[in-house]
Amino acid sequence: MRLLWGSCSRISALLFGPRRRPGNGLVSKGSLCYLRKMVHYLTEERGRPNSADYRIYFKTSDGKYISPFHDIPLFAAAEQENDIPSSKKVKMSENEVLFNMVVEVPRWSNAKMEIATKEPLNPIKQDVKKGKLRYVANVFPHKGYIWNYGALPQTWEDPCHTDKDTKCCGDNDPIDVCDIGTKVCSAGQVIQVKVLGVVALIDEGETDWKVIAINMEDPDASMLNSIEDVQKSRPGHLEATVQWFKKYKVPDGKPENRFAFSGQIRDKDFAIEVIKSTHKYWKALVQKQTDGGEINCTNLSVCESPFRCTESEAGDVVTSAPACGEPAPIPSEVDKWHFLSK
Amino acid sequence: MRLLWGSCSRISALLFGPRRRPGNGLVSKGSLCYLRKMVHYLTEERGRPNSADYRIYFKTSDGKYISPFHDIPLFAAAEQVLFNMVVEVPRWSNAKMEIATKEPLNPIKQDVKKGKLRYVANVFPHKGYIWNYGALPQTWEDPCHTDKDTKCCGDNDPIDVCDIGTKVCSAGQVIQVKVLGVVALIDEGETDWKVIAINMEDPDASMLNSIEDVQKSRPGHLEATVQWFKKYKVPDGKPENRFAFSGQIRDKDFAIEVIKSTHKYWKALVQKQTDGGEINCTNLSVCESPFRCTESEAGDVVTSVSTTCVYHVLYL
Repeated sequence: MRLLWGSCSRISALLFGPRRRPGNGLVSKGSLCYLRKMVHYLTEERGRPNSADYRIYFKTSDGKYISPFHDIPLFAAAEQENDIPSSKKVKMSENEVLFNMVVEVPRWSNAKMEIATKEPLNPIKQDVKKGKLRYVANVFPHKGYIWNYGALPQTWEDPCHTDKDTKCCGDNDPIDVCDIGTKVCSAGQVIQVKVLGVVALIDEGETDWKVIAINMEDPDASMLNSIEDVQKSRPGHLEATVQWFKKYKVPDGKPENRFAFSGQIRDKDFAIEVIKSTHKYWKALVQKQTDGGEINCTNLSVCESPFRCTESEAGDVVTSAPACGEPAPIPSEVDKWHFLSK
Repeated sequence: MRLLWGSCSRISALLFGPRRRPGNGLVSKGSLCYLRKMVHYLTEERGRPNSADYRIYFKTSDGKYISPFHDIPLFAAAEQVLFNMVVEVPRWSNAKMEIATKEPLNPIKQDVKKGKLRYVANVFPHKGYIWNYGALPQTWEDPCHTDKDTKCCGDNDPIDVCDIGTKVCSAGQVIQVKVLGVVALIDEGETDWKVIAINMEDPDASMLNSIEDVQKSRPGHLEATVQWFKKYKVPDGKPENRFAFSGQIRDKDFAIEVIKSTHKYWKALVQKQTDGGEINCTNLSVCESPFRCTESEAGDVVTSVSTTCVYHVLYL
């Protein structure tokens, strides 16, 4: 396990103020300590894609099963590796905060894949509604999702908290993020993203922030630093994003969604504040200071969490899942293109 | 081989005037006779998809190789004026698949430009093609003919068609479509008509009978279609395309006239009345075509093609 002290201390100072550095190599803030590491994650598929038993479990590069909800750090470091000489390390500017993003839905696909917050180790699975696998509709002119879509780990929109801006309660999920980068990622991929802004969606009456971000490996990432930059570089994409969230459930017979701030996209600083607050709610959740209801908080790395389990227990969860199989066919009605009146 | 006499005679009367019915079961018009049949087609893949050696060959349901360019009838049925369409590019995909007009038996292959396999760009907000895209068999836009509306020469290919139906079809699939209209694209200075049509199996097919119907039922799709054709080569460094009629979509009757004229050019081509240049007119069923070959010769064409990696038969 490698810990990137340089970047960790910069992130920590940026967000939480100065901290002490205990001898055991763990970052500590108050009563919560958690492990930060820059690692590559592996995934392990179980069951058949496009079926109700399909799961994507996560593991570290040394094969230990983890939860993508609780064990992947919210804050990523920059490209530094420990073995790069400090003279060659890229100096991170104070505003250059990178986050880990767990990709759930590849751009242009339809299957509603999501982190299973109520299952142990929170694998990715396909959402089921009214007994049927859920596929998001194609709302003309779009095909499926128009970005890589996913979640920021170690965040939680607390349903017992009424947001002061949306006036609604949290949707009980990690905070959602749209990666506007050009590469189509895979479900289960963990990428590092730069946050650019946030939209305050009110989805079926629940607070459902949508962070707008870009994969830091995107060729345009270094030149995109604000929502205004995105509007110049990708004209129409942000407007399409707001319209997409407004209407995406209409083909399912639901009404259009609403927004706080009249659908205006708030800037990066505001977005980071929102993310920080959902990180705080998550910390309270895993420390059992908040009652998470059916949320499964089993984790491998949150040191002072009463939900921490052993590697062996984690292994048992995965091995009891059905073996990986061939994909089931996607129903042809998923291809339907819905033309909504303006 | 089944011949649908009822529908054949209705189509024939509609388009070509009354005809005699020879005893041998073939429809005859003037000096050209050709076989009309309503059959299902099979395809046979050769080579690896997404590579330069990939080919989709066509066969009849009894396993005889044919050309999708010359041997699939243009007219599928009468009255509703249904046409056969050879699907080349499934909706939402990018690989520029097309009938190989210069190869024997005209399989579908991926276009290559400047030594690279061609993929059409995704022009926001679109992903790839926004309809199932393909060609009407037994048609040809003659490059020696200057179109009176576009003022440009034909693009040397079968006439193109966009199926606005909801189902995503496969490359090589042959469907029956109802024609609704046509757009007069001028693509890189060549006449390149784009027929707008709908798969007759689409749930909406019976209620869509005109461009106006499409505008009500699928608001924005036709505008997007014109914009798509205008801009789709811009990411490749080409200029925007132009249109005749200021990009207005002409109606069904006009479209059918355009199709008929390209069918006429095709007939002249396969009868060697027009010099098709490098176009390969090998066919199995155009009775009086000097390019007609035997089933055995057709089989030799296919079996000589690489079978690397992929070989299976799709039943469509």
